[in-house]
Amino acid sequence: MKRKHFGSILADKTVYILLSVSILGFILYPYLSIFIQSFQEQGIAFSAFIRQDAVLLQHSLFIAILTMVLTVFMSLTLAIFFVFLKSKWQKPLRLFLLVTMVSPPFVTSLAYITLFGRRGMITHDLLNLTFNPYGAHGIILMETLSFTSLNALVLIGMLHQLEPAVINSARSLGAKSDAVIRDMILPLLRPGVIVVALISFIRSLADFQTPTIIGGSYRVLASEGYFAVISAGDLHRAALINFTLCIPALLGFFLYIHYEHTMTTQHHGLSSDTNALPLPKKGWFFPVTCCLAVIFYGALLLQYGSILINAVTVKNMGQLTFSWQPLLDSRMYLDGTILRTVSYALVAGFVGSLISFLIIYYSQIRQSRWMNLIELIGTFPYILPGTFFGLGYLYAFSGQYFHLTNLSIIVIINVTFKQVAFATKAAKAAVAQVEPTYFKTVHDLGGTVLNEWHDVFFPMTRQGFALTFLNGFISTMTTIGSIIFLIRPGQKVMTIVMFDVVQRGEYQIASVIACLIILICLIMAGLVFGILGLKQRRWLHVSRS
Amino acid sequence: MKMIKRFGALLLLLGGLFLITACSSNSSSSKSSSSSSSSKQVTKQFKGETMNVVTTSDAYKPLFDKFSKETGAKVNFLSMSSGEVLARMKADKSSEPMADLWFGGGLDAFMQAKSDGLLEKYQSSSVKKIDAKYRDSQGYWLSKGLTVGGLLVNKKVLKEKGLPVPKTWADLADSKYKGEIIMSDPAVSGTMYAIVKGIIDKDGEKAGWDYWQKVNDNITFYGKRGKDPQEKTASGEFGIGLIPVDQSAFDSAKENDLKVIYPSDGIPWVPEGIAVFKNAPGQKMAKAFIDFMLEPANMKQLAKLDGKDTDQIIMPGVKGLDLGLDKKDLIKEDLSTFGSDRQAILDKWAAMVGDK
Repeated sequence: MKRKHFGSILADKTVYILLSVSILGFILYPYLSIFIQSFQEQGIAFSAFIRQDAVLLQHSLFIAILTMVLTVFMSLTLAIFFVFLKSKWQKPLRLFLLVTMVSPPFVTSLAYITLFGRRGMITHDLLNLTFNPYGAHGIILMETLSFTSLNALVLIGMLHQLEPAVINSARSLGAKSDAVIRDMILPLLRPGVIVVALISFIRSLADFQTPTIIGGSYRVLASEGYFAVISAGDLHRAALINFTLCIPALLGFFLYIHYEHTMTTQHHGLSSDTNALPLPKKGWFFPVTCCLAVIFYGALLLQYGSILINAVTVKNMGQLTFSWQPLLDSRMYLDGTILRTVSYALVAGFVGSLISFLIIYYSQIRQSRWMNLIELIGTFPYILPGTFFGLGYLYAFSGQYFHLTNLSIIVIINVTFKQVAFATKAAKAAVAQVEPTYFKTVHDLGGTVLNEWHDVFFPMTRQGFALTFLNGFISTMTTIGSIIFLIRPGQKVMTIVMFDVVQRGEYQIASVIACLIILICLIMAGLVFGILGLKQRRWLHVSRS
Repeated sequence: MKMIKRFGALLLLLGGLFLITACSSNSSSSKSSSSSSSSKQVTKQFKGETMNVVTTSDAYKPLFDKFSKETGAKVNFLSMSSGEVLARMKADKSSEPMADLWFGGGLDAFMQAKSDGLLEKYQSSSVKKIDAKYRDSQGYWLSKGLTVGGLLVNKKVLKEKGLPVPKTWADLADSKYKGEIIMSDPAVSGTMYAIVKGIIDKDGEKAGWDYWQKVNDNITFYGKRGKDPQEKTASGEFGIGLIPVDQSAFDSAKENDLKVIYPSDGIPWVPEGIAVFKNAPGQKMAKAFIDFMLEPANMKQLAKLDGKDTDQIIMPGVKGLDLGLDKKDLIKEDLSTFGSDRQAILDKWAAMVGDK
């Protein structure tokens, strides 16, 4: 018995120390390294930079705020639209939203230019207008389209928290659909709306790809930070830009923490039965949301249809003809890359989830204050731009003491720890569903920490763990910012190859790779939902590249 | 207990994956670590070793495959812009560089890398086949070809606007083309920098900058990616794009009914460099690759893969593509200031174009 307890205490302490050291080493240390190193390097001071380039901050904030407003509006519209739908309609429409989790900016931008460009099919050919698609409006539109589906999934997931008895009794008392939406559903979604608003705000601030493609002369901080590195190797400027981005992102994040807490609390203990839905298709909410949803799904269909068409066609004298050539040509670019990418995503998805669940075990169940701090540090990669995290790794792990940049393991560590931010949030939501007295019972019966993990913690959070793993897997499959400056020859992953071929204008190849990434993510989602028999598909968290 | 066993099995599986993928060292075998600046041809038997290459395009894979077949060396490569190579070399403080060979990219970056002490000296015995003008006299870099600048024209767009097809660089300064020209930011595109520098070299400092000021007035914004002008001209967003002229430009012209033009008042150019990284563990392979590349048959294949007809210019006698370029039309450029003037030119350029 004593031996058993000793083993358990040893495992407990070892895991606790390993979690602390790994988060400090692989998240805090890289950030500290880049901050210290970059400010030590020669170049203009931060105050001078802000004075000189204040317009970049203004632009970034303008884009982020408007994108946030539009994204929230559209995702809320979709969530309300779902309230009127039967389950058989909800499933395919949700699956389609899942597909759009893989949303390379070139897809939206290309379709946008083809339709609404200066010689676009709609603006020029149909309406005879010369419309300039480049600039702030282009970025906002493209980001809104890209971010909406993920946010809508979060809000639609929240609909499962509806208490059917309350809705049914309201309806039996004569409440109309519009009143149910206005008085019950919208207040329920409110914390979720605030969370997705802040997610969109931070994602928009960190997005360096969309402004590059569609921004025209409109310059924003994230893309300028990227150019500072690729055009002039100016790490000092890149660091200043990222530092500037941190300020609004941090402000947004503190609000996020506040409301995210409210959301988790509100979920706890509520029924997941949704048989109070669908609501009767009456009132003005239905026609309005239906129209907007049709337009949104139409735009998604157009985009993803164009990827598929690009992947199986070639152009000659302006005419598209069917061909397997893009598929055949892509083999050269993907040599060994698919297996490597999937392996990285599997390892990162699983290890990232395990780390996150254990952190939450200590911070929530054992109420360790230190682990709360570790959890907060684990959230940094979400707040700060991915490119900055990657550069931090380059600085931190290429030195004399920690020399890891020549190993593939560094890329896996990066993608694993990058997702701890989201995974801990998901873990928290899953752990909140477990009755705390179970742990006490195990303890009272003489059980050890290992018994707690084995008999209560992991079995009871199994579904949450599976969803967190899936989210981590998809996030790794689609990530680019944090690893773009870290990948070395022989470590290529699919998103890096896709980004590279897009930069060189080889859209057919890029489309093939995008299709493959979507297919792999869908297969994994099918496996997770199918094998584990998950009935609920709640997407309380989203990924970002 | 079942749960723990399942978990254990899963961990074991992931551990296996981890071992296969993660622990594979990316560095080249240490067997070939020693380096010397010897001009002798180095051994070509590298079975079981890996050469890491940063390059500008995946299109060179057939050449790397051929090298692998002949020497047994495995070749890993990654596409990267020259600026990014410099940035990463600067940030990465490890003693080992991220690759053994740097294959392709604007010469200004190679010149910068040489002065930063990032390159290894290597004079292949075959290097004399390359015109002395296109290689470093000390042996830190050599060229594998030239990238030349030209114009891509969307005839349909110009016809719709009632504009004539431009024949010269000078034509672009005409205000009638306002809003119809696109070029990439020269800070991002090596070819655009070469065009800017080439015209300043051709016209002289003052007239050159006056010219660019007029062209700038006709430009709405600058592309942030090297391929922007080609793509946006092809899609009809602009009538005229400033582009690197290679096979892909002619392919795009065929696909989209466009026209490629070599301006008659001179063609700007930039050599594409090759170099071995200092302290690279796979230096021997990198040097062997340079020897291999300089063999006429391989130069011929390279010319094809490059999609350019300039490889024969740097190495007389090589048969490459014929894209209609006349060597006589190349602008007389001052290569010695190509790297040293870069920052000053880009700073002046940034001040001139403002927020575009």
